[in-house]
Amino acid sequence: MAAAMSSSCCASSLRLIPFKRTLFSSIHYPSKTLTLRPLKPSEIPSFRRTIITFQKISTGIVPPPSASSSPSSSGDLQPIEELPPKLQEIVKLFQSVQEPKAKYEQLLFYGKNLKPLDSQFKTRENKVEGCVSQVWVRAFFDEQRNVVYEADSDSLLTKGLAALLVQGLSGRPVPEILRISPDFALLLGLQQSLTPSRSNGFLNMLKLMQKKALHLEVKGVEDSTSESSFVSTPEIKDEASVPEVDSESKPGLVEDLGTEKIDDSDSGSNGVALGSRGMRIRERLEKELNPVELEVEDVSYQHAGHAAVRGSAGDDGETHFNLRIVSDAFQGKSLVKRHRLIYDLLQEELKSGLHALSIVAKTPAEV
Amino acid sequence: MEGVAMKLPSFPNAVSIGHRSFSRVRRSSSLSVCSAASSSATISTDSESVSLGHRVRNDFRILHQEVNGSKLVYLDSAATSQKPAAVLDALQNYYEFYNSNVHRGIHYLSAKATDEFELARKKVARFINASDSREIVFTRNATEAINLVAYSWGLSNLKPGDEVILTVAEHHSCIVPWQIVSQKTGAVLKFVTLNEDEVPDIEKLREMISPKTKLVAVHHVSNVLASSLPIEEIVVWAHNVGAKVLVDACQSVPHMVVDVQKLNADFLVASSHKMCGPTGIGFLYGKSDLLHSMPPFLGGGEMISDVFLDHSTYAEPPSRFEAGTPAIGEAIALGAAVDYLSGIGMPKIHEYEVELGRYLYEKLSSLPDVRIYGPRPSESVHRGALCSFNVEGLHPTDLATFLDQQHGVAIRSGHHCAQPLHRYLGVNASARASLYFYNTKEDVDSFIVALADTVSFFNSFK
Repeated sequence: MAAAMSSSCCASSLRLIPFKRTLFSSIHYPSKTLTLRPLKPSEIPSFRRTIITFQKISTGIVPPPSASSSPSSSGDLQPIEELPPKLQEIVKLFQSVQEPKAKYEQLLFYGKNLKPLDSQFKTRENKVEGCVSQVWVRAFFDEQRNVVYEADSDSLLTKGLAALLVQGLSGRPVPEILRISPDFALLLGLQQSLTPSRSNGFLNMLKLMQKKALHLEVKGVEDSTSESSFVSTPEIKDEASVPEVDSESKPGLVEDLGTEKIDDSDSGSNGVALGSRGMRIRERLEKELNPVELEVEDVSYQHAGHAAVRGSAGDDGETHFNLRIVSDAFQGKSLVKRHRLIYDLLQEELKSGLHALSIVAKTPAEV
Repeated sequence: MEGVAMKLPSFPNAVSIGHRSFSRVRRSSSLSVCSAASSSATISTDSESVSLGHRVRNDFRILHQEVNGSKLVYLDSAATSQKPAAVLDALQNYYEFYNSNVHRGIHYLSAKATDEFELARKKVARFINASDSREIVFTRNATEAINLVAYSWGLSNLKPGDEVILTVAEHHSCIVPWQIVSQKTGAVLKFVTLNEDEVPDIEKLREMISPKTKLVAVHHVSNVLASSLPIEEIVVWAHNVGAKVLVDACQSVPHMVVDVQKLNADFLVASSHKMCGPTGIGFLYGKSDLLHSMPPFLGGGEMISDVFLDHSTYAEPPSRFEAGTPAIGEAIALGAAVDYLSGIGMPKIHEYEVELGRYLYEKLSSLPDVRIYGPRPSESVHRGALCSFNVEGLHPTDLATFLDQQHGVAIRSGHHCAQPLHRYLGVNASARASLYFYNTKEDVDSFIVALADTVSFFNSFK
């Protein structure tokens, strides 16, 4: 399960990083190596409710601090080039600093330079869950609709981590932010220097920042009055924007747009049978929208490489769906309002691990 | 089934089994401690006497390691204690030589296992001076023991309007079960706050006790404040109004002599893993007539007498409250822990810890900007050997992380399962260093040096 790694700071000791909820029971090693007892969940001092499993790392392979950005152990880590430019810089900086104490100093230095957060923003919605210390994050758009973040914490180390993320992610557009996989934290080499509860807090920070970016986007879509508003994120597509959106769009969707895909039966699956979430989505939409046509397609497998999927689904990885709905309920509603309607109906799912929807919403007349 | 008479070779205690049956040689550590029991328990070492901490050190192999490049300094015994080799041997020995299910079997191994298991029960009873070993119910830990009382005694004895008295300093395990049960029964929870010495206000507690009080559930020694409560007096006040008393002795049984007959408490709970025993086992002490009046907690095998399709009859205590196969090896190892501690002598352990705890307190409070919670030690106030503290302007988690990473010092940071207490004190979290009899003066010195270094490191960034 866990491999022994010697790094410059822990000569012959073994570090187990228990990221899973079911922590390792005692593991026996030959008498020479020393084991650190993994923390029992009850001992981890936090007000924590959820533990993010960092499934790539749980294979037990931890690259030493001097690892390059493409360590051999993690062939499917998000390549560093996909990260926002400032974040890339930060990662490279931390990789160049080898000694743990110096990494701390670097981290604290970031924290020191973090712009303080006005206390009016230290609200419940802005609080990061799963942190032993208190961390708040705030997000808003600048004039170019890039996300700007502000953050604060009562713990200096956590403040440093927050500052890292704020610096690395601020000023970037929503799609780029949503694409970031938490794998980069590994690359920082801070994993080993931070206790599991703290690094889970780090993941939660990132998650909250991504969630806030998404909310800003959705709210922006809502607020805009024009039907042809350009909503270009890889996760949320509407018909008006698909032709212009980046090449990441799935071929199936583009097809959907131009031609009327009425051939499919209501089962709407592409060979992927619907799991429980898919069934629930189908049921809900059927009940509430009384559709003439309804296709619910589980395309989570297309996002299987996206670490947030693995981390957050909580159940069996049902995170991404294509929906095609033809219903009278959309009569007289703008595109934006139709999407809003659907999101509202699927609130529970969105809260419990549904990551994204691609929606085609038409009235029978439009088909 | 205690009435069964068997002819067996006698196995007086787990330690001797270990040494008779083992071919591999382990340090006969516990025996050497017994013979050296007359040495001084003072914390300082001189040419004549070696301090208790130094003497027992070799019994705890886990303490001899490096973490993150520094020698391990383990100051988290209030969270869980380390186990001496004798306890580990006993556990290993059980599995290797006579593992078998207890109480039901006829064959040799099962008789042996049953014998040892019941012997462990007797040892625990003797350790806390219970009048009968049947007043000891083995549970998974103290938390389960409290839940047992809450669900079994509480649900059948609490009525709407009845009052249960707790303190704001209780561990979550002695708050949450009562919340659950009071919701179900309509009983009311009342909390004693702290006085200006930062200990629960005994006067207020006394005033709170009224004919409506049915239960007083309090800690013996606080895991955050290090203060202790005058249980004997509290029991007198409670019994005067017909209320019962449950004592959470998790931080007292491992560290000092606890005599349940002297305290006259109705219930007392403790966990094995805080007293040099393994995890997975703890116990509830309950007065005999009280246990006899209580309905079962969990249902299953062992706790029954006769089982029909539509009803069952239940066994006598303690079996009534021990459903299913118990943690046999763990109970036996707990018995070995009791032997180990008794071999040193609880008065000696306590004496050592009072001195070392005072040393810790003095050194810690001499650092600038350090705020220690709980009462000041004095001639009349003996603190437990732990200090929960905060350093002005620094977060305890930062301290604990750096102490661990750069100095190998293991302390705890957080709320220590006492959120209401921290809220009352007006802090989010605190750091806590806790000692046990295997710590030494050098451990405390290393901690203080490391803490000073840590504080200056973080202060340079503010």
